[in-house]
Amino acid sequence: MTAAVQKSPGADFDALRTQLQDAAAEFADGPGALEGILLGLVDDVDRAAREPLEIFPVCHHSPASATAMARRLREKQPKVIYLELCEDMTPLLTELRNCRLPVAVQAFAAEVEGFPADWAPLSVVAPITEASAEYQAIAYALDTPGVELVLVDRSTDHVFQWRTREEAAEAPAAPDPDAPPAEEEAALHGDAVGVEIGDLRPRFAELEEHLLRHGGTRHWSEWWSLFVEQPLGEADVDHETYRQVMFLIGSLFRRLAPGNGARVEVDEERERYMWTRMRAHLAATGTDPDDCLYVCGAFHAASRVAEFGLHGSDTYEITPPSGSTWQYGLIPSSHSAIEAQFGLAAGSVSIAATQWAKNLKRTKVRPYRLAGQAGQAGTKKPAGSRAVAAVPDPEPADKLSGFLRRAPVVDSVDEAELLGWSVEIVRAARKAGYLASTADAIAVYETSILLAGMRERARPTPYDFQDAAVTCIEKDSVPGRRDVRRLVEIMMGGDRIGRVGYEALPPLARDVHDRLAPLGLNLEQRGVKRALLDLAGNPALRQCSDVLWMLRRLLPRGAARPIMGERALGEQSLQESWDLALGTHQRELIELGYEGVSLEQVLEQRLRRAAHDPQATTATVLAAVEEATLYLRSRRLADELGTRALEVLAAERTVDGAPDVLRRVRRLLAYYRTSEPSLPQWIESFVKTGYAHYCTLLPTAFTDEDATARQVAAMLGFLFSMEGLALSLGCDRTQLELAVAQSHPQEQSRTALLWAAQVHLGLLTRDELRSRCDALLANPLVLPAYPRYLSGLLHALEPVPHLVDFVVEAVSNAFARLPDRVLLPWLPTLITTLRADGADLAARLTREAGRVFPGRLAALDTWTPPWREQPVLIGQSAAPAAGRAALLTAHPATCDALAGLLGCEDPWGTGDLPSEGGAALLDRFPETAGAWEALLATA
Amino acid sequence: MSDLLRAPAEIKYAEELDWLESVDDGPKPFSWRLSPKMVRLFVLGSERADGLDREISQKWFGERSIVERAIVTLASDRGLLLIGDPGTGKSWLAELLAAAISRNSTLVVQGTAGTTEDHIKYAWNVSMVIAKGQSRESMIPSPIMTAMESGRIGRFEELTRSTSDVQDALISILSEKYISVPELDSDSDDSIVFAKPGFSVIATANSRDRGVNDLSSALKRRFNFVRIPVVTNKKSEADIVRFRTEELLRRHQIELDVPPTLLDVLLQSFADLRASAAAAGSDDEKLESALSTAEQIGVLEDSILHSNFFGERTLTARTLASSLVGSLARREPEDLAILNKYLHGVVEPRSKNEGGDWPEFLEGGRDAIATLS
Repeated sequence: MTAAVQKSPGADFDALRTQLQDAAAEFADGPGALEGILLGLVDDVDRAAREPLEIFPVCHHSPASATAMARRLREKQPKVIYLELCEDMTPLLTELRNCRLPVAVQAFAAEVEGFPADWAPLSVVAPITEASAEYQAIAYALDTPGVELVLVDRSTDHVFQWRTREEAAEAPAAPDPDAPPAEEEAALHGDAVGVEIGDLRPRFAELEEHLLRHGGTRHWSEWWSLFVEQPLGEADVDHETYRQVMFLIGSLFRRLAPGNGARVEVDEERERYMWTRMRAHLAATGTDPDDCLYVCGAFHAASRVAEFGLHGSDTYEITPPSGSTWQYGLIPSSHSAIEAQFGLAAGSVSIAATQWAKNLKRTKVRPYRLAGQAGQAGTKKPAGSRAVAAVPDPEPADKLSGFLRRAPVVDSVDEAELLGWSVEIVRAARKAGYLASTADAIAVYETSILLAGMRERARPTPYDFQDAAVTCIEKDSVPGRRDVRRLVEIMMGGDRIGRVGYEALPPLARDVHDRLAPLGLNLEQRGVKRALLDLAGNPALRQCSDVLWMLRRLLPRGAARPIMGERALGEQSLQESWDLALGTHQRELIELGYEGVSLEQVLEQRLRRAAHDPQATTATVLAAVEEATLYLRSRRLADELGTRALEVLAAERTVDGAPDVLRRVRRLLAYYRTSEPSLPQWIESFVKTGYAHYCTLLPTAFTDEDATARQVAAMLGFLFSMEGLALSLGCDRTQLELAVAQSHPQEQSRTALLWAAQVHLGLLTRDELRSRCDALLANPLVLPAYPRYLSGLLHALEPVPHLVDFVVEAVSNAFARLPDRVLLPWLPTLITTLRADGADLAARLTREAGRVFPGRLAALDTWTPPWREQPVLIGQSAAPAAGRAALLTAHPATCDALAGLLGCEDPWGTGDLPSEGGAALLDRFPETAGAWEALLATA
Repeated sequence: MSDLLRAPAEIKYAEELDWLESVDDGPKPFSWRLSPKMVRLFVLGSERADGLDREISQKWFGERSIVERAIVTLASDRGLLLIGDPGTGKSWLAELLAAAISRNSTLVVQGTAGTTEDHIKYAWNVSMVIAKGQSRESMIPSPIMTAMESGRIGRFEELTRSTSDVQDALISILSEKYISVPELDSDSDDSIVFAKPGFSVIATANSRDRGVNDLSSALKRRFNFVRIPVVTNKKSEADIVRFRTEELLRRHQIELDVPPTLLDVLLQSFADLRASAAAAGSDDEKLESALSTAEQIGVLEDSILHSNFFGERTLTARTLASSLVGSLARREPEDLAILNKYLHGVVEPRSKNEGGDWPEFLEGGRDAIATLS
């Protein structure tokens, strides 16, 4: 314990207190609110600095914090580090060494319990960049033996438990693209959780505006970097000064931004949570608080909750988590994603990364880096594990007064750096298509210095430089893809996109990469890769093809896109080619990994879920059956889902999905017939049930206004095309005949459908159908309705395909005989119907028309349609009858032989028995008559 | 009150400029009358926290960095080209800058299709040439030449309206910083007019004119382009409209209140029309007007004048609506159809839901359209 504890509390800061009191008295006309605030600030700093458990205040994505952290860790060598990060993310941190930063730690809950259902899936991300204090702490703790890293912030579950409160208090504000970032205050308290959406704007906007204006800065990131980052990044700023300055800033923002109550409440709740956890840990392990370091946002360091501190009250009770199951993983992140998530200015995280590199050089601090960190090209492994004798803790003396009174560090122009930038940007601009020359480099250099001078600083910031470059190089149009602003951002470090290494991937993603290894592509890399699969030449690739098809089904478009080859029931590709972008869609693949350990399992779960969904229709369940067969080749699952389809069908009371059901059942039947020795049980039952089901629904569907002709046609199609199978399984045809007999449609197209059905069942002849159609055309009163009959006939091609020649005839008649005022408005309808519903119907029609109509134009003049020829044939029917008789007399032998067989003795009717032929027959064959008599007598 | 209809900025704000000059202790480039920081203060106005003894009003409303970039450009070797949509305040900014830097904003060349090289360089007083021969005395210097000789800021309005060969006369002025006069004896000092330190050019160009007379790349290279965006931020726009209207009322010596609710109606209706123009597919579906802030001020001015001289000396929503229709309907029937659609599709539901001035605005708009069509 340090000697300072024995001093009267706050004695260190007495001088500063008096000074501020005097200042308040002078500027605010006597002590009052201002004094309260100023002294409150000092109290906060004093309290935090005096806390026996060392608090290390940080700001998110702040290189100065990271530098100070690295330096402090080397000095102090703490045994336990408490970190303000969701406590349930602990196991993941070791995986960081397999990743290229920035990555984000993600907690994910696909199915929620205890939260509103529309929140699902819940996801919390905590991005980690290299230039951050938390990464230093993590790297130190993981790579130093005997050091424990304890995450103490509320669990991800609590993030959502408390969100209800926050949301009740504030409606999310609409994002304002040109508003200065509001999240900086939030980021200051070190909050890495990406759900931080609320803000302190209303009460805080004025302060921020004031600071920006007087700092000569455009946005908050620039202000922060200029007025906090740079002074704190100096080599001569020691640990205690850093701490006190950060405490002061945390306290300032806390006191000047009361914000809304709910938000502050959540912040305080977190502080209670963290301190409760830390005390519990200390008590459980018996660690000396001197060996510990508590890393938290500066905002939380200025906390005034009762639980604060090692000796705070112990009354806080942590609520139990909800029932949701959380999955954890690492996902790739990027600088721009972080900027967008936390509302930082574009490019600020990249600039922070550059600043970090510079700070390291300047302060000669050796940073910590996870041993074996992926993607750290060109950096030597630091000798981080070398034990340094721990330096005793400094006394928390007042370092603040000195720092605040110190003249601003006049950073002279770093000529070489600025020149380098100017030359570089001109080169980049030229590459991007700008007409930029050395003269521009000179102008950019000069303008940067002038701008910085105008903004009252000697050294141009990267943002000044950016403005200068835009002024001098940007003209009236942008020649290429990127404008000068973007080019400067890229030059200053550009966006870095992290990558999650193979070892840190969830089992599913690893499995996918393993199984795709035979393709020989580096799929972890970003960008599109073309895969060529010669399945005929190399059958081993079939497994890859299976994986790819499943990926296509499960991942968003673009992750796996087939260029050539398709997968349909009963078909096999010989060759396939794919565009794969798994590296780009790494996050989606990782999130898939939260659902299961293999693609098959995830797909099976999803199919099952889709089939058992309360909204599921027969058609969707059949689709699941099809996919189970197609992607999983699983007869077991297909049977299970098929049985489910049967249940759904039996419970269905509408015929909305009939066309789809028909299409799918036909496809499945065709598949099973060709590939399996016998049909699966379920599909037989399905056909039987479907036959009975649709028979029952048919009369209603014919009259129901909601059912379309297409649906009715599909029902009939099911009934007619499955008839053979259904009858063989024990269905009764009378059911169908009765159903048709009961149908009395009113609407024209459905009437036509009924006619077609009757023709199919033999209840109506073609001639009758033809005469009915002719009657329609001949009657001027029903003529306008003729097109509707026709569309019914078109739909009838589905259930009664052999009617196609008649439909061609009907359509031709329509063109020939319908008046233009009826025909023309109908034509678009005909085309759209054919296009939408009947691509195959149209093909069938044209094929038939091609057969009926002459092939050449010249032949058309002399051509008579076959249906016109018929009446002539009927007129000549007498002549062929006579001809047939003539044939008989010309060859009597045939007739005689036949008559002899049948027992007729005078076939030509020339003999004596012309009138009583029948009775004579009775006399000659009495046995037959006897047998009849006996039969009748017994009956 | 000056007796000029419209006093240039240096006269209008003479007192402010004098005062600024007296307190300015910052370094001044060349022959500038004010230091760059003071120029910025003059244009963007002061705040209490600036610690000045008096308040400097804000005269141009827009992003701070735009003004800074413009000032810095003038202090450098290059000319300044302000580019943007019509009505975004380019010329006003140019005038303010010229007034603050060299206390003279009237050295202006107006670019038109008829602008010739003489307007940029010099011309001759023919009768004097006949009487005395060609000499510096008989030469008529252009505003740009005058600016060169006196080390001030010259202005070139609507640079892209003049033809390319005329524009290119600026190239040598901007790079060599002198104009040679071959008509005069090449041995004498008169044959070359050198620019004094402090000379620079502020040109303005309308981005809607792109492609009419494109700048040559040689000239582009000698200008720094500063793009002035259309103000879409409602608060700044309200500030601008209020500022200009007050000025206008003062100029016309009209005592009339502009109710803030009516200002809101005006701003909202422009915002709506801009949104619909942004969503329009073809030129026929959007108004011909650029719907700039200047256009809004025009509408307000029109309605103020109308109600002052013909109305009941109070501004009403009805007058505002008829001015809006009158100013924006330029093409018949396209613009009228769009305005009609706007009134019925947007204003009518709003007047039902929100009330306030909207019902009267709707009424006035309908009447105006009925009169016009």
